[in-house]
Amino acid sequence: MPRVLGVDIPNEKRLEVAITYLFGIGPTTARKLLKELSMRGDVRAKDLSDEEVARLASHIDANYTVEGTLRRQVLSNLNRLKDISCYRGLRHRRGLPVRGQRTRCNARSRKGPRKTVANKKILRK
Amino acid sequence: MTRSIKKGPYIDAKLLGKVEKQNSANTRNPMTTWARACTVAPEFVGHTFMVHNGRTHLKVFVTEDMVGHKLGEFSPTRTFRGHTKKG
Repeated sequence: MPRVLGVDIPNEKRLEVAITYLFGIGPTTARKLLKELSMRGDVRAKDLSDEEVARLASHIDANYTVEGTLRRQVLSNLNRLKDISCYRGLRHRRGLPVRGQRTRCNARSRKGPRKTVANKKILRK
Repeated sequence: MTRSIKKGPYIDAKLLGKVEKQNSANTRNPMTTWARACTVAPEFVGHTFMVHNGRTHLKVFVTEDMVGHKLGEFSPTRTFRGHTKKG
């Protein structure tokens, strides 16, 4: 299996899908990137020659922020918001929706699994 | 919807005037303001603002990271003291 940029080992999938296994490369970037290199997206990743893999890797490395660098960038953006204690930072700290969504119901992606409060209905009366 | 780039950032004229006055006088006194919608300009760095939150003015010390945000973002308007405990 070919290795692109260290840890990532895309498998027996079509190349344009295989490179989306890299953090920071989705379907759109993948297609754009292969076009820049004028490589075909429909060949299997295992059929790539070493030279092609190297070309792919160096191109991504030079032009895109992926994997660790990108993760660090995202984290530092979050930490900046938290440090300046602005509204968005506070929402990140509390694990609540940041962009003004309602929290009375839903918002489960941010809040995580429901924490049921026993006897809530009785207490409300 | 974001603000049109043509207009540039909204900076409260009165507040900017106050900041410039302090900059030329080289003072760093807190400035009371209600202009929560005012964008933090680079000139504001190092100054302290008392930003209204609907009830009181909260102290906001502007650092370099805050440039580009609105003053209101640093002065929360809601107090959440937690849900009622049983009993």
